[in-house]
Amino acid sequence: MLAAVAFYAFSAVLIASAAMVVVARNPVHSVLFLILAFFNAAGLMLIAGGEFLAMILVIVYVGAVAVLFLFVVMMLDVDFARMREGFQRYAPVGALVGGVLLVELLFVLGSWRFAPEAPGLRLSPNPGATVGNTEALARILYTDNVLLFQAAGVILLVAMIGAIVLTLRERPGTRRQVIAAQVARAPAETVVLRQVPIGAGLKNIGILRPPPAAEEREALSEPERHGHGGGHH
Amino acid sequence: MDAFLASPVGQVAITVAHSLAILVPLLIAVAYVTWAERKVLAAMQLRKGPNVVGPFGLLQPFADALKAMFKETVIPTGANRVLFMLAPMITVTLALIAWAVIPVADGWAAADINVGVLYLFAISSLGVYGIIIAGWASNSKYAFLGALRSAAQMVSYEVSIGFVIVTVLLWAGSLNLNEIVRAQERVWFFIPLFPMFVVFFISALAETNRAPFDLPEGESELVAGFFVEYSTIGFTLFFLGEYANIVLMSAMTAILFLGGWQPPLHVEPFTWIPGVVWFILKTAFFVFVFIWVRATFPRYRYDQLMRLGWKVFLPLSLFWLVVTAALLKLTGWLPA
Amino acid sequence: MMNWTLALPEAALACAGLAILGAGVLPRRHDMFFPISMAVIGALVLAGVLVLGQGDGAALAGQYVSDAFARFSKVLVLIGAALALTLALDFNQTDRDLARFEYPVLILFAAIGMMLMVSANDLMTLYLGLELQSLAAYVLAAFNRDSERSAEAGLKYFVLGALASGLLLYGMSLVYGFVGTTSFDRLAEALTAEHAASLGLVTALVFVLAGLAFKISAVPFHMWAPDVYEGAPTPVTAFFASAPKLAAVALLTRVLTQPFGELSAQWGQVLWLVSAGSMILGAFAAIGQRNIKRLMAYSSIGNVGYALIGLVAAASADPAVRSEGVRALLFYMAIYLLMTIGAFAVLAAMRRRGRPVEEIEDLAGLARSDIGMAVWMLVFMFAMAGVPPLAGFWSKLFVFRAAIEGGYVWLAVIGVLTSVVAAYYYVRIVRVMFFDAPGAAGALDARPASLTVVMAATGLFTALFSVAPGPLLAAAQAAVAAIAG
Repeated sequence: MLAAVAFYAFSAVLIASAAMVVVARNPVHSVLFLILAFFNAAGLMLIAGGEFLAMILVIVYVGAVAVLFLFVVMMLDVDFARMREGFQRYAPVGALVGGVLLVELLFVLGSWRFAPEAPGLRLSPNPGATVGNTEALARILYTDNVLLFQAAGVILLVAMIGAIVLTLRERPGTRRQVIAAQVARAPAETVVLRQVPIGAGLKNIGILRPPPAAEEREALSEPERHGHGGGHH
Repeated sequence: MDAFLASPVGQVAITVAHSLAILVPLLIAVAYVTWAERKVLAAMQLRKGPNVVGPFGLLQPFADALKAMFKETVIPTGANRVLFMLAPMITVTLALIAWAVIPVADGWAAADINVGVLYLFAISSLGVYGIIIAGWASNSKYAFLGALRSAAQMVSYEVSIGFVIVTVLLWAGSLNLNEIVRAQERVWFFIPLFPMFVVFFISALAETNRAPFDLPEGESELVAGFFVEYSTIGFTLFFLGEYANIVLMSAMTAILFLGGWQPPLHVEPFTWIPGVVWFILKTAFFVFVFIWVRATFPRYRYDQLMRLGWKVFLPLSLFWLVVTAALLKLTGWLPA
Repeated sequence: MMNWTLALPEAALACAGLAILGAGVLPRRHDMFFPISMAVIGALVLAGVLVLGQGDGAALAGQYVSDAFARFSKVLVLIGAALALTLALDFNQTDRDLARFEYPVLILFAAIGMMLMVSANDLMTLYLGLELQSLAAYVLAAFNRDSERSAEAGLKYFVLGALASGLLLYGMSLVYGFVGTTSFDRLAEALTAEHAASLGLVTALVFVLAGLAFKISAVPFHMWAPDVYEGAPTPVTAFFASAPKLAAVALLTRVLTQPFGELSAQWGQVLWLVSAGSMILGAFAAIGQRNIKRLMAYSSIGNVGYALIGLVAAASADPAVRSEGVRALLFYMAIYLLMTIGAFAVLAAMRRRGRPVEEIEDLAGLARSDIGMAVWMLVFMFAMAGVPPLAGFWSKLFVFRAAIEGGYVWLAVIGVLTSVVAAYYYVRIVRVMFFDAPGAAGALDARPASLTVVMAATGLFTALFSVAPGPLLAAAQAAVAAIAG
């Protein structure tokens, strides 16, 4: 009975928050409702016995993907008024597409018939019930579906290459921190201990900063020139 | 009585009792972690720390809590009120519900579930929401910058934490925390997995936004980061959440690498001491290390923090994962 | 049944891809494009050799199948990918952004995706193969990231491609809901046993068809093609127009004839419309184009329309017509692949003072400045127009014959009429090259040797195909026997 109560609670919140994702005026609220929806979906999976999937849903979608969503939505300053404008204009088209999909789903439901053993199979996340859900998944994932598993891995690799190719730029002239070089520096190379007599200037005893390299001198002198030019206006 | 316990009401009552049995000691422990932090930091800096309220200042946490609660609540204009109040609640709730699966002694967990490790990992990955929502809802640039830093930092370090956990799972052969502790009966996992143990603990520092990775709150640049606008109850809840997370991460480290409630050796004087004491001792040790690190290291620069996470820990943990898997497979030590 | 050795070509290519990627990243140098391209071409050739030695059968829990049809398509896919990469060798080195070593690596991974597509024996393998190929293609389209048009091409392709994938997945999930399996073999069994084409299943099939029609840019899912073809760098366009198109057509053929063979009455009608629409649009929309890459986009839409005539014939009830149709289709795509790459080799050679140019007027007076290139282009344009005895004539003849034998006379009539219209713009290019005076901007740059190789190889094939058509016909026949026999 507790499971039934939990089921209805999760389902009701899931549907309500899914509706709020679309209806909410503030996109940040939409994303937060989406997170709530994910959560309740995970709860439903737990009730059905798919504990591994439930946790992975939370870890991957709520813990990582939705965070990035939220990140983007918070950083972009979305103009609600303009979004509404488009909504009015495209509403008929959207309604049409939605209507077609609905009619198709009705067709599908109309000609649907369950195989006799289907309802029993639906709630068996661990076939044979000798092993847990995690192990049951692992057993088919790495044996029967190894091709799909590897192909999915290659797809992710390509996505990674794509992201790097399209965004990573090496700007010329940036000076990167080389931690190994910093750590490898010995005190003797950088620190000089001198006895400074009282009253003597640093220049007098020959302690000077090392002269800047040629390109740095250039970079240093440029703003100065600008400064002089600006002074006359 | 049995009939009552089996009925739905009884089930709920048992769950509530379990929760209380975990939460009450936990909250008291959290209060004293704040006290311990001030004492330890003081000792390391040759000061005395709180010593006025009660003997050795032992009542200081309660005095602080009372003070924080009875001050005026300030909600900035322009803040999103609902989310602003929700954020600290999320933080503290998440820090507390994670304890449902922690086995404090052999079989003593409120919920001894099959996928305990994943549950912990999932809950700790949600911690970022309290921070990011607080940062956004405050409508303040310092808070928002802190939230963004925090989100990027926590997502980055979660990746290597995940791989570290997988190496532990390879040795333990189960996702159940009790089983993981039992698998350490002969040897605690920090011995075969020493590099992973170090990676895990450092990532735990980053995950809880503790020094030297406390950039989200970085006092010197962001005032107090994501909770700069919070006062009274909201501030208290964040504070509570942060310390509960520290205790949680210490407990996780103890369970995954230091054999949880297992005594160091299964011989006479050690086995007299009950498992729960061993667990508390180990957790307390890591809490101490958390504080010790804070007293010792200066704060990282943000790009160095990201570099450490992505370019050092991630490849290292991936490499060690492969090594571990190969080792277990080749030696036949793979748990059944 | 873990006999993964059957999938050795894909496995070897994937391992080679990882190794080559590592070899490109680790030296931290900027001039890795050429050596990595060479390595990728080598890997593609190696994979081709392995494909030729592949056995028959299904492997990896029945999700992967190797038969003569798959091998025929794979060899062509690998040839197409290798030629498209050869075409990029010189072109990409003119631009610092294009000359990055990831370019050949992405082509290699796209090739793996295409090989999985043609070897798919399960809806899930199909989807993953398609996504692997598409994802690499999206990145390639946007590869010249400093060019706004390239970025636009990439983004447009990605958004519409994601939509098409969504349609495909929706259709596939409906199929799974109805039949309870994603395996092609079991789908075929289930659909034969049931005999009834329920309305829901037809709906599902239409969604699958829509998703795949997008990938081959057939009307009415062609809108992306002109913009993407125009915006993407020329070698990338050459790649898009060749290997992925062939792989997607082969995939479509396998999906429709094997698991959904019993529903041929339903998909036959849909394809009839798609084919006729593509031919008509390809012929008429290309007339007004000034940009030659845009023109080639419409030309490729039209060509897909002709190829699909063969698939329409494969919906016929008569087994002889069915295999005739599939054979005509494979034959058409094989010849189309080589003709297109040849034509794009000429496009890639169109450069003036180092900068790529792509207007039709830029070809003016080519016959005077570079007669060799003009002649090759003439061969490709006449072949595409279907002038005998060039290869393009035979391929068109075969599809029309299959249509007439299958009783799709109107489709054949539309095909012939649109061919006449299309001939107008192909011949216009020839006219511009041979009879127009060179423009004020001066002659094109000398063509690089790598492009000459591609032009000569594809051009000789196109021109001299009639001399020895036997091997290709025999291979196509064997391929047909594997799926529609």
